[in-house]
Amino acid sequence: MDDLAANRIEVKGLTMAYGGDVVLDALNLPIPAGRITVLAGPNGCGKSTLLRAIRRLHAPQSGQILLDTEDITRLGSKALGRRIGLLPQSPSAPLDMNVEELVRLGRYPHQAMLQPWSPQDDEAVSRAMAGTGVEAMRRRRIGSLSGGQLQRAWIAMVLAQDTDVICLDEPVNHLDMAHQLDCLELVARLNRDEGKTIVLVLHDLNLAARYADNLVFVANGRIREAGNPELLMRADLIAEVFNTDAHIITDPIHGRPMCIPFRKG
Amino acid sequence: MSIAATAPRYRSIVLSRSAIYGLLLALLALAWLTSMTLGYRLYTPGQVWAALFANDGTEAATVIAGLRLPRALIAPLAGAALGMAGTMVQTLSRNRIASPDTLGLNAGASLAVVVATIIFGVQSLVGLSLAAAFGALATAIVVFGVAAGAGGLSPLKIVLVGVTFASLAHAAVEILLTSNEAQLQQLLFWLSGAFVDRPISLFFNGLPVVLVGAAIGFALASSLDAAQADDSTAAGLGVPLAAVRGAAFVAVSLLTGAAVSMAGPVAFVGLVVPHVARRLVGLQHRHQLTAAALTGAIYTTLADVAARFVIYPVEAPVGAITAVVGAIALLVLLRRRLA
Repeated sequence: MDDLAANRIEVKGLTMAYGGDVVLDALNLPIPAGRITVLAGPNGCGKSTLLRAIRRLHAPQSGQILLDTEDITRLGSKALGRRIGLLPQSPSAPLDMNVEELVRLGRYPHQAMLQPWSPQDDEAVSRAMAGTGVEAMRRRRIGSLSGGQLQRAWIAMVLAQDTDVICLDEPVNHLDMAHQLDCLELVARLNRDEGKTIVLVLHDLNLAARYADNLVFVANGRIREAGNPELLMRADLIAEVFNTDAHIITDPIHGRPMCIPFRKG
Repeated sequence: MSIAATAPRYRSIVLSRSAIYGLLLALLALAWLTSMTLGYRLYTPGQVWAALFANDGTEAATVIAGLRLPRALIAPLAGAALGMAGTMVQTLSRNRIASPDTLGLNAGASLAVVVATIIFGVQSLVGLSLAAAFGALATAIVVFGVAAGAGGLSPLKIVLVGVTFASLAHAAVEILLTSNEAQLQQLLFWLSGAFVDRPISLFFNGLPVVLVGAAIGFALASSLDAAQADDSTAAGLGVPLAAVRGAAFVAVSLLTGAAVSMAGPVAFVGLVVPHVARRLVGLQHRHQLTAAALTGAIYTTLADVAARFVIYPVEAPVGAITAVVGAIALLVLLRRRLA
């Protein structure tokens, strides 16, 4: 595998705990550059914690996270902000903020304290808004947007941050089917056209299998298995990780594995 | 093509913003002139000019330079300080009904001044200014500490703790004052919240404190922009949240403390002004803070003029006027929020 030489991020022996409860337990995970990695697993398995640890929102109890072989704890907060972007689950901002003001927030790590807004900042904001199709609503208050439009505006903000790695925590939660697809197609296009390394937490296993180059099953604070979705989407493994019986078929349109969960009896 | 289409649009926004600043400056000049000329006695701009630049020793010149000028300087400075403080408080608590008043900062500053005078015998204006700033900062720490300890800094919780603390501080002030009648007169003058009869030295004491507070605020402008988003998003952008909050609270305390030390607790200025500022210039703090300073200065200067006339010929405390306006604004905001 040519990927082995090009891991953008390497999680090594990561243990995270909140008040004595171990959430991640000596976890190891390589994240290949320029690919879409999807973290999947049951509620409370630690996948969101893992994503947030990769962006250094929480300090690990032990272990380390390497970004291009460099320990992320050695980077300043703005320096890390120029390299890893994060869209948390259900982000929020004042409802009377307009779309352009929101997208401009993405330029924060590129600005020195008293240095004014630069032409590069303007260009990055325009590019992010064009890439996500929110240009026409740049003057609209985010409180007036629909769920799908709002999510695109938030993705534009992360895009304006201009990082090689983009982490998204359940970005299609609360979206209807059509907007879920729009959102994930947008993410896939960023990966394809701009070579961004994407790390996603997704709840819907079928969407995960469709969009992931690298699917990661997280269970009980550990990586149960990671790799090509074709290899992971097995009835026995899904039964073990997700605690449900499943029948696996091939999606007739995309040719990706699909799972139909069921309860026996 | 796309550049041609967006460039004029961008320019029109820049222009409209500078037009707004121009308008606010003109309004401020007008408010200032009104404050200098209108009152128990009416003076012409010519008399004001003569009194300020060629003191001719007339009675008019004495009144203008000795009584009108101090309040026409202190009122806008206190208003600007409270406007900027209110803007930062609302951003930090992500709460549009937060203000130095609802967080108890005014009350804390008042209590500190009373304690400094009665218990520590502080008499100097510099000492009282420092006490006010310290009181505001200590209150900010206590209120946010208690709210955070009670499980998360929810906007509502911060205000509840702040209002509770404010009542406690007011009660403590009353107890201290009633048991120390000797100092009552002197402090009551100060605690009424007014710009009238203030020595001009208060302005020169407050000015550097306000400038330092404003400088910290503007240095934090882009961090405050990002801190308007939720904590995870802000941290993901690289905002050192704890440091930004700490520095902003120092700025808020300096600004509130300076305002309180000059004018006493002038109610609700920091609540109302940021709303006007955001409407005018949007949500970037570089602009929000500028517009809040200008709007706040205009507001308090005009409120001070109004105070001379509502129960003419007697002066009303300006704090009573801003309290009425602020209470109405708060009701409107609450209604809109609940609607």
